[in-house]
Amino acid sequence: MPESLSLGAVIVLALTAAFLLINQNWRWGVIALSVQYLAVFLLVLQEWSLGLAAIKLITGWMAGTIIGISHSAAEQDERPPYSAQIFRLLAAGMVGLLAWATAPLLASFLPVKLIICQGAIILVGMGLLQLGMYTRPLRVAIGLLTALSGFELLYAGLESSILVVGLLAGIDLGLAWVAAYLVTMNPAMLDQPRQP
Amino acid sequence: MSAPLIWIVFPVLGAVLLWALRKNLPRMILGGMALTLVLLLCALFMPIEQPTRFLGRTYLIQSTIEFLGRRLVIENTDRSFLALMYGMLFFWLIGAQAARTHFLFISFSLAMTAFLIAARAVQPSLYAALLIEMAVLLSIPMLMPPGRPYGQGLLRFLIFQTLGVPFILLAGWALGQVEINPTNAQLTHLAMILMGFGLAFWLAIFPFYTWLPQIMEETHPYTSGFLFLFYSSTVLFLGVGFLNQFPWLRNTPVLYEVMQWMGVVMIATAGVWAAFQNDLSRLFGYGMIVETGFSLLALSLNSHLGDQLFASMFLTRCITYGLWSLSLSVMLQKVRSTRFEDISGLLNVLPYASIGLAVASLSIAGLPLLGQFPIRLALMEEISRQAQGSGVAVLVGSVGMLFSVFRALSVLSRGSGMVTWQRQNETRMQITLLVLGTLGLLIIGILPQLFFPFSFSLFSAYPHLP
Repeated sequence: MPESLSLGAVIVLALTAAFLLINQNWRWGVIALSVQYLAVFLLVLQEWSLGLAAIKLITGWMAGTIIGISHSAAEQDERPPYSAQIFRLLAAGMVGLLAWATAPLLASFLPVKLIICQGAIILVGMGLLQLGMYTRPLRVAIGLLTALSGFELLYAGLESSILVVGLLAGIDLGLAWVAAYLVTMNPAMLDQPRQP
Repeated sequence: MSAPLIWIVFPVLGAVLLWALRKNLPRMILGGMALTLVLLLCALFMPIEQPTRFLGRTYLIQSTIEFLGRRLVIENTDRSFLALMYGMLFFWLIGAQAARTHFLFISFSLAMTAFLIAARAVQPSLYAALLIEMAVLLSIPMLMPPGRPYGQGLLRFLIFQTLGVPFILLAGWALGQVEINPTNAQLTHLAMILMGFGLAFWLAIFPFYTWLPQIMEETHPYTSGFLFLFYSSTVLFLGVGFLNQFPWLRNTPVLYEVMQWMGVVMIATAGVWAAFQNDLSRLFGYGMIVETGFSLLALSLNSHLGDQLFASMFLTRCITYGLWSLSLSVMLQKVRSTRFEDISGLLNVLPYASIGLAVASLSIAGLPLLGQFPIRLALMEEISRQAQGSGVAVLVGSVGMLFSVFRALSVLSRGSGMVTWQRQNETRMQITLLVLGTLGLLIIGILPQLFFPFSFSLFSAYPHLP
């Protein structure tokens, strides 16, 4: 894969992850998550075969779909003050700087390309930021999926067992399912009349 | 027929079949108990990889099953662990009706146990992380059945357990690299740090234990008690398995120092924090943290005695957690919450549940003549011999726990004008189980030598440990 395409994928990862952090519109959020998984797929393709890498892409899109369906039924979007959005953007920028600064160190420990290390640190960092900033199940699930995507990117260079790929895909789907379950089985949701 | 098929695949299928009985909870519980009892008896009496005669025919149970290029292995020496897991599950299912758990508990507890056993059986062992995460995901509907609001404790539980997975997987990769190149000190340290973080996330080791008291407050105590007992038992034995598997790891002195330090900090901080709690469920959570701390202390001794003490803890832990969570469940059938303002004077209304809770909590606090006391005594003697400061810190934690239990007892027994005990508030089944649990802890505390040797066989699967 050309170096420029990898760099482009990492830039897309950073943009989508930052967008997920500050965005409050669930429709755009699900689209950003899908694009993020596409970028992860492109990077994973450097280590895995097309068939194996496609599992990651399809699983991610399915997880996004599950989250999207339950989100539309459950949580109302709320617009935070501009100061909060600026703070989140600054925090995202810090994660970007951290990735740029620490990726060479990580690449010296692990037999993984520098560009993949950068992408992985960005995703893990942004995912952890989401986990620290939001307390609703769907946002927590998006944070966990983002952080796990970062780890999976890193791990793709170390392990390519079908069982691991399958189980990690199962965990991604399971996280989305658990978040959807927690939201839709909430008493507040169960009390609402069903839509025809 | 292979052992993983019997103790992993069949229970999962059984859990699915039990789902069909969900309209009739007593039958569902009976079905679950029958299946668990069969699995327990098989674990006790069916040797693996040795020909056995049964009903005139000879059978050979194979130890291994291949799955997608990886193996699930249950050897003959693992039967003690299987007996422990299915024994504890049977014990827990006996009280499910009395605790009025949700029907999801029956199926999901069986499936979760099977996944945890799979985590212990999978080879290479680093794949255990993925199976444990599956078990965590399965536990969510059990903890939060439909109609119950989720809380922050549950989300934190999910976050911390999921964050533990990458650390363990990367540690597994690093451990493999260390085996290839044992002289690489940098890689050795990396593997230890990664594994340390992974186990700390999973076992709710300091400072990652904030979710435990919270989740105890938010969920049904019987379900969360089950979850943490099974989950911590499996993860502790996985840790022991890592020590057994990697010689360089068990020969690293600093590992035992860190383990001892973590155990001491857990006991001291949880004990002190417990003293300030105003909720019996949160107190239970802190009691669990103290128990995990003592397990780490026992392992940190790196001796035959330490291993024996570690193994002995599981019997009393199972009874204590069971008694405590059943008592809380019975209380919650009468009161809105287990906060001190709601349970004031409850001894008069629910005498058996109150006494059960008192005995269980005093046992965890290490009161003499109760189940945990003989283990605590031996452990504290050993720790004080190695490091007096650690011994004092453990003592401070134990005193904090004891103080919190006495506070709770004073609230429970607070006079509210009632002088006669109202036995009709507890069902016959609840009274029987609570009395049996209380007597069990007393008998183990008085005659530990009769019960603890049964646990020692748990370490037969780890021949390289002292």
